[in-house]
Amino acid sequence: MSQEQPPARPLPQETPLTAPFWEAARQRRLVIQCCTGCSRYRWPPEVACYECGSFDYEWAPASGRAKLYTWTVAHPPLLPYFHRRAPWPIAVVELEEGPRMITNIVGIESGEYEIGMPLVAGFEDIDKDVTLVVFRPSGETTEGAEGLAPLRPEPR
Amino acid sequence: MKPDSAIIRDRTAIVGVGTTEYARDIGRSELKTALEAIRMALDEAGLGARDVDAIFKIETPGEDPNSELEIARNLGAGALRCWGGFGYGGGGACAPVVHAAMAVATGMASVAVAVRARNRGSGGRPWARTGSRVTGLAAFEAPYGLVSPVQQIALMARRYMHQYGATAEDFARVAVVQRSHAARNPRAFFREPITVDDVLNSRLIAEPLHLLDCSLETDGACAVVVTGAERARDLRQLPVLISGVSQGMPPRHYMMNGLLYQDDPFDMPSKYAARDVYRSVGMGPEEIDVALLYDVFSPMVLWQLESYGFCQPGEAAGFVRDGRIAWPDGELPVNTHGGSLSEAYVHGFNHILEGVRQVRGTSTCQVEGARVALVAAAAVVPSSALILRSAA
Repeated sequence: MSQEQPPARPLPQETPLTAPFWEAARQRRLVIQCCTGCSRYRWPPEVACYECGSFDYEWAPASGRAKLYTWTVAHPPLLPYFHRRAPWPIAVVELEEGPRMITNIVGIESGEYEIGMPLVAGFEDIDKDVTLVVFRPSGETTEGAEGLAPLRPEPR
Repeated sequence: MKPDSAIIRDRTAIVGVGTTEYARDIGRSELKTALEAIRMALDEAGLGARDVDAIFKIETPGEDPNSELEIARNLGAGALRCWGGFGYGGGGACAPVVHAAMAVATGMASVAVAVRARNRGSGGRPWARTGSRVTGLAAFEAPYGLVSPVQQIALMARRYMHQYGATAEDFARVAVVQRSHAARNPRAFFREPITVDDVLNSRLIAEPLHLLDCSLETDGACAVVVTGAERARDLRQLPVLISGVSQGMPPRHYMMNGLLYQDDPFDMPSKYAARDVYRSVGMGPEEIDVALLYDVFSPMVLWQLESYGFCQPGEAAGFVRDGRIAWPDGELPVNTHGGSLSEAYVHGFNHILEGVRQVRGTSTCQVEGARVALVAAAAVVPSSALILRSAA
């Protein structure tokens, strides 16, 4: 009884709206909502399309290619889980498809972060139920990443 | 149909203000501090509790213990004709006064109280209560460590630096100027002057932001009393007319982190609140004598200066560097009470009180001849604003 539990990382509670995203992540696939009505990608998940109002969407595969949009390194005070691992970097990436996501960068130290650097999605199994999408440097040049065609037509 | 601002412009006035002391641990409940601030505001106006027929407040879901009816009972208010609580944190700062003005101008109520009481100093940080399972937007943020407002603003600040060339020194300068204002204000929690180096040498909280870029964590309460402009003339204080009012929320808005999901993260709620507060009074930024700008973290003051049209996008750092927000010589003194960075953090409601003091001519950093004060709520969440004007 007296054994101390290590502090828990806050983890996603799946909902009917978001479960397909987390299921895909467990299968090491990055998917985002794509509106069936107007073919626009969107993130974060929504019930209806802001642009055309359609309730219909599919979970479309994203290329996983992204660029670093902004970042911070968080210092205490932090939640206990992150406090033990401080300082804790947090990043925002812009997917090739357009939407931006909050994430963590793996494989490099925050001192090496540069806004605009090319990244590629990876998957980090936190426990048997939860896999988080993270990003690592892709090693490609920015120009090369820009030249890759998106899987779906650009919105608008 | 274009909104008709004549319905509300100058129809109501702030006739009394009240505040408790500001403390890290005030040692009494938010209901008590709310009542103290309201009673002080009523006394100042020469009105009684029974005159009150409307109560509006800022409220934070899950945190806020004071319902309008608890306040009304314990205040001894008359029958209430109108009430409401406004969320979205510091974005709601001006909203209770906006709605008090609406209620009085439309005849729904005659004497409205607007109040914010919060024990944010002793009561703990809301984000620290993040559980082990998170839903909604937080499900895509908290697992990565993003939970607190300072981290969210730091992400925006880094991007702002990248897009516009601002530096950590530019953020620090805001804190330095506001501290110089607080040095003259006996209510201010921090009054010791600081330098840019002091800010940059204070510990990092969320890079590029340091401890002294962050607001205080305060217990305290502020209240104002609003009544019709006609009746206001017969009361004790020189009326401060509520000239301009607005709330503002951009299309497809998601709160703080959500700005990073938008096409342009700097298309902030404050821009929308600015557009409508100016329109409601038929005025532009050039007519503002003093600005009380929500400043929970120092970069937000730069974003507010841009949103409210005092300078162009990306130019605010230079505006501050040139001394233009500093009292007494700057052309637009900002946060002459010290703001959330030095006076107190009361979700921006203390900025409304400073706006009233400036228009009355009673600030400790009084802007000479000030007639028009702008009060702006938080820039990055559904926001609100007021333009206050002297009735003299």
